[in-house]
Amino acid sequence: MDCFVFEAGGKRLGIEARCVYRVADDARPAAVPLAPPCHVGVIYYRGDLFDVVDAGLLLGDRSSLKDENPYVILLKWDQHKLGLIPERIAGMKWIEAPKGAEDVFTHDGRRIRLIAPEDIWRLLSDLSYGH
Amino acid sequence: MDIDKYKKIFVQESANYLQELTTGLIRVEQDLCNSNLWSEIHGKIHSIKGMARALSLEAVSNLCHQMEAWCKEFQAGTTAPDAAAVQILMDGTDLLKKMTEAEASGADPAADPELKRISALLACRPDKLDRQTQTEPHPVAAPSPIDRIRVDYALIEELLARSQEIILLEKTLPPLSHQQMAAGLKSWIDHYMAMLRGLHFQLARLRLMPVQDFASLFEKPVRDLGKAYGREVKLNVAGGDLQVDIGLMDRLREPFMHLLRNAVAHGIEPPDERERMGKSREGTLVLAADKRRDSLVLTVGDDGRGIDPNPIRRYLREVVGMSDPEISAMPREDFFRTILRLDYSSADETTQLAGRGIGMDVIAKAIECLSGALAIYSEPSRGTRFVISLPLSLSIIHAIVFRIGPYTLAAPTSHVASIQRRRNGPSQEGDHNNDLGLRLGIDPRERKPGFILKLRQPAGTEHGTSGQPADHFMVDAVVGNMPLMVMPPGELLAKTGTFAGVGIMEDGDIAILLDMERI
Repeated sequence: MDCFVFEAGGKRLGIEARCVYRVADDARPAAVPLAPPCHVGVIYYRGDLFDVVDAGLLLGDRSSLKDENPYVILLKWDQHKLGLIPERIAGMKWIEAPKGAEDVFTHDGRRIRLIAPEDIWRLLSDLSYGH
Repeated sequence: MDIDKYKKIFVQESANYLQELTTGLIRVEQDLCNSNLWSEIHGKIHSIKGMARALSLEAVSNLCHQMEAWCKEFQAGTTAPDAAAVQILMDGTDLLKKMTEAEASGADPAADPELKRISALLACRPDKLDRQTQTEPHPVAAPSPIDRIRVDYALIEELLARSQEIILLEKTLPPLSHQQMAAGLKSWIDHYMAMLRGLHFQLARLRLMPVQDFASLFEKPVRDLGKAYGREVKLNVAGGDLQVDIGLMDRLREPFMHLLRNAVAHGIEPPDERERMGKSREGTLVLAADKRRDSLVLTVGDDGRGIDPNPIRRYLREVVGMSDPEISAMPREDFFRTILRLDYSSADETTQLAGRGIGMDVIAKAIECLSGALAIYSEPSRGTRFVISLPLSLSIIHAIVFRIGPYTLAAPTSHVASIQRRRNGPSQEGDHNNDLGLRLGIDPRERKPGFILKLRQPAGTEHGTSGQPADHFMVDAVVGNMPLMVMPPGELLAKTGTFAGVGIMEDGDIAILLDMERI
């Protein structure tokens, strides 16, 4: 399958390419009060509203935010819309679909953890919003 | 001369006049001797006649001429109008609509058999009219699909000006050296994108229509239903200036027609019965619109007899198999929701126009398809309310946009009484209830409160989080009072319970809209 690979929080991560809607550059998320620290804000992109998340803080151990206008990987699946801010975008890779429950595969000798957007959403939903 | 082009303009123009004519006739029916109203009605018919004459549309102009002659008499007071005369003019208006549509499609407008009947009636003087010929009930036509909207001329001008400016941007690209190219192009593209975002914002406004325009679609059907069922009934509209997505409203057209038909047929009592009960002879239907948090709430209500609970009890006992104590323990809302069941009907026999319960399941399904919810409230002899809550797909509101710390927020203008520059003083410090920044968890070190937003306190407002309603907010800076395109807040932001939506400004920037009932 085609996989969109990026780095965040010191990890190399992959997401199924069909969930990636666009990569927005020069996006300036509008910050939202009461959101958890990894929730950077929201952006309005081509008629849709995306929650934007610091992928490093949510999925790893350090922030991916280095730039005021970062790249945002825009994901669309089912009814959800989500933007991920990576540290670095590695690009599209074709990989053999992982077998069994294993979600880590190796590409060019480097381990890539495959992550489903539903799992990212679940992680986000479990965080505390408000007081 | 390209006559078809002008015919097309005639059909569009006359559609507006005919709608206004219908509204005028409904109003004059309540005030038969009002010469000003007759003058307005006369004016509309005269305008249609003038346009038809200019295009040699003989059949249309002749019918207008006959109708005009009656109006002149009523306007001058030489003949007293009555309900039968108004009905003939109403029939004439319906016929004019059909005839103009026939003109548009190239059919013969004079071929309509109704033309002969109405022309013959209008050929008499109104006071010599044979009223026996006018007793036939008329079928009640549901409103046509919403395929046109009225657009403010000013908005069209703005759109044209903005698109012109975007076209002219090509000429503003300066000659750039290789070194300047990257920076110069980026600034030019930024400007270009800002213009496009503004254009998108304005185009989105074209999708909106005021609830009042939607309600006016039902004026004539409600009036006709009243006649058909022998009820005196008026339609009141609340929240008519609220702008809502036309696509949403069009999908609600048929459900609303069902609800209004049921209200007239089964809710509103006959005038004599209402009088005996101490009510006014005229029943009231209400179509109300309101915006609550991220929902559009539409209500169709009547002040009639209410839903008879006995057939519902019988159904729950005999069909569902519930016991009397179980039925009595049901919440009132669930009890009335029984009428939405597919196999429920309380009518022993249904009339051609409506049967109680008929179509209610269809209404429920239509609302479900729009991700909405339907609640029913009813009280004996006080009336029934159907409350429909729908997610706001898109709406435009005016809001005061302001900044607190790193956040750009907005409050609907209707909730703000005044904005004042802040003066330092003990009364404004440490007031937790009015410190929006504190409530939103903003570090005081990041703040420089410069303004006070005094809030209006609407009656009956619930304040969910603090217990005490805030009467003002201290904010750092005020961006302005401006239109915002509001989108629902989404699943994650909704979890905060503090925001009603996300507002997009004309330049594409975002302001988070506060939920004033909760903050």
